[in-house]
Amino acid sequence: MDKLIFGRYLPGDSIIYRLDPRGKFLITFYFIGIVFLANNVASYALLLAFVLFSVYLSKINIGFFIKGLRPMLFLIVFTVLLQMFFTPSTDPLWKFGVLQLSTDGMVIAGYILLRFVVIIFISTLLTLTTTPIEISDSIESILKPLRYVKFPVTQVALSLSIALRFVPLLIDETVKIMDAQRARGVDFGEGGLLKRIKSFVPILIPLFVSSFSIAYDLAIAMESRGYKDGEGRTKYRQLHWKKIDNYTVLVIALLTVCLLLVRSY
Amino acid sequence: MANIISIENLSYTYPESESPAVDNVSLEINKGEWISIVGKNGSGKSTLTRLIDGLLEASSGTISVAGQKLTEESLWDIREKIGIVFQNPDHQFVGATVEDDVAFGLENQGIERDQMVREVDQALKLVDMQDFKNRDPQSLSGGQKQRVAIAGVLAVNPEIIILDESTSMLDPEGRETVLSLVKDLWQNKGMTIISITHDIQETALSQRVVIMKNGHLVEDLTPAQLFVMDDLKQYGLDKPFTTLLKEKLNFDPEYQDEEELISKLWKLN
Amino acid sequence: MEIKLNNVSHSYESQNPDAGLGLDGVSLTIKDKSFTALIGKTGSGKSTLVKHINALLKPTSGTIKIGDREIDSKTNNKNLKPLRQKIGMVFQFPESQLFEETVEKDIMFGPMNFGATEEEARESAKDALKLVGIEESYLQQSPFDLSGGQMRRVAIAGVLASNPETIILDEPTAGLDPVGRIEIMDLFKKLNKQGKTIILVTHNMDDVADYAEYTYVMQNSKLVGQGTPKEIFNNKELVDSGIVSLPQSANFAKKLAEKKYVFDQLPITIDELSNMIKEQLENNG
Repeated sequence: MDKLIFGRYLPGDSIIYRLDPRGKFLITFYFIGIVFLANNVASYALLLAFVLFSVYLSKINIGFFIKGLRPMLFLIVFTVLLQMFFTPSTDPLWKFGVLQLSTDGMVIAGYILLRFVVIIFISTLLTLTTTPIEISDSIESILKPLRYVKFPVTQVALSLSIALRFVPLLIDETVKIMDAQRARGVDFGEGGLLKRIKSFVPILIPLFVSSFSIAYDLAIAMESRGYKDGEGRTKYRQLHWKKIDNYTVLVIALLTVCLLLVRSY
Repeated sequence: MANIISIENLSYTYPESESPAVDNVSLEINKGEWISIVGKNGSGKSTLTRLIDGLLEASSGTISVAGQKLTEESLWDIREKIGIVFQNPDHQFVGATVEDDVAFGLENQGIERDQMVREVDQALKLVDMQDFKNRDPQSLSGGQKQRVAIAGVLAVNPEIIILDESTSMLDPEGRETVLSLVKDLWQNKGMTIISITHDIQETALSQRVVIMKNGHLVEDLTPAQLFVMDDLKQYGLDKPFTTLLKEKLNFDPEYQDEEELISKLWKLN
Repeated sequence: MEIKLNNVSHSYESQNPDAGLGLDGVSLTIKDKSFTALIGKTGSGKSTLVKHINALLKPTSGTIKIGDREIDSKTNNKNLKPLRQKIGMVFQFPESQLFEETVEKDIMFGPMNFGATEEEARESAKDALKLVGIEESYLQQSPFDLSGGQMRRVAIAGVLASNPETIILDEPTAGLDPVGRIEIMDLFKKLNKQGKTIILVTHNMDDVADYAEYTYVMQNSKLVGQGTPKEIFNNKELVDSGIVSLPQSANFAKKLAEKKYVFDQLPITIDELSNMIKEQLENNG
């Protein structure tokens, strides 16, 4: 399970950790949006500088972010190569059939690479510094207006947070069941596709069974602790929008303005 | 002493089953009493406690808790008076962190946030888990998880705590800390404790033991009487250590707890 | 088949940069046909250790010799079947591994994976079920319709059916009622008498005293003690530091020792205890 760096929370403390998760959540999405405004060296440099500065502020080793690239590596390399060799140009440096290499193509490929890097870094920053429960709180808070159209926001948020809470438990359970079946002679990585798929049945069924038993026990426990249907509940977890969050918004607004300026430069 | 729970002719049959899981059970439980319920797996112990908390609806019979009859209307009031700590510590943890979990019951009651913060702190202090407030459940030991579960129950100030085999999945150390905590709550907070257990030594902590078999309540006695019964095996119980030892020494089978046996042996030597 | 760990360490670092060592330089020998107990607190490394014995985990450094097979950090994941066939493993709450439609099919699963024919596997399933004390009539039932205690036995049968030479038990009786516990433990004792090596991971010190011939003690991923149960429970250092707790008989004797009784060595089973008491009563009375 060690490959799942992308999407995993890393306990720590820094200014980025302390930002309001709602702000972080929305700013991340906003940032990914404005990445597409960049169109020249200066604008990409600006984006990269912003991202690297945020990474620096987070006090997290840059290695974690580079690891975050790994699962996307194939996609990145593929797209970059595609841009590099298929960008049409009137003045190619090298040509072979439909393939051609040009300065334009290389520049565009470079931009694409940068785009990937900043987007992956910024979203890795969000997940590394924000607990799953904070993300679910943010979603609840952001979706709040939907209550007026009778969307059960609190119930959905509670289900989401419980689901998140049980992910590690189910991972443990999966590892345990896999070990037990391997001890009974199952070889997961062996044989043809059909055999491999079949070898997962002895894991999936026990996993279903234990998920249901957990769900049943949990439902009983929740009911015994007075959970009705989410109506009239108060909330213990509270998010606090602080001054620093206002500043962050200011910074990102400033970034947008700068980006628009250098873009038409 | 006043009754806190009175059960009359209670029966319940699971939908998929033919024979009743609880069969015409009547039981009075006194306020401030510690009562153990023992019996083999499937004898109806857990079903009985679920009926008391209104988690299952009885087929027939009545239940009153603290003078209030259990009905559709009184259900939620009654649940506030009863806290249950279940067997599997992993299956009852609702919150993402220790404090969130303790707050769950308070949130359900719609308590103001300021008061919640106070109550959560207080409950965590009672179970000596205040240093773990921000921890996630996966990083706790089994005994610690159960203490958090007890804190979650205590936070809403119940009069009755039901322990549904709460220590059976713990290591000896975890079991020890949980039991001494319960003992403390019972002595100092005047709570009523209903404890379902397979551990005969654990029943020695209680004042009274009821035995269930095939849905019936077959015995109602003191731990002292239970310890000298000779057919404990049919109720899924071990012979207590002291009884076994006395048998080996050819002593009379009268009841003695460990201390009494030690002082008797002392005098003999 | 002797099992020998030579300076085995295991690091969980690859999964979690904060996690330390799961095993730290453990060397030990488990004799052929012995009944060996492995004790220690939750998280002390017992489970990590036993997973190395059938290569569910591989050492970060050090070697494990199982009969003539050697496992180290470079051991390939293929060809582990012959090893796993010889070493059966009953996990904690093994009933969670059940998945087939019938008890018979579930028990046959192991033997079939290890290359038995259907006929052979069916035969083994029948024998294994009998061994764990469940009637043959249950063979065609769904394992999910059984009681918790029966499911546990079927799961154990599923491990025994492959006829392993060594059986690793990780808290096999956790959550069972006392009567079920004794029946299961007696079964393993019987299997040991028939020549199987038993490795028991447990918190139950009475089981250690009653069943084990030799005991290893783990603490903080290290091996901190070894000896016969009697030696372990009389090891002041281990007991006083709380690493090892005492079985009921030893505990009782300890209290008697404060009241004029004399024990050169603490008794660890109830028979020993009662004999020692009788002896002293006769001598003095």
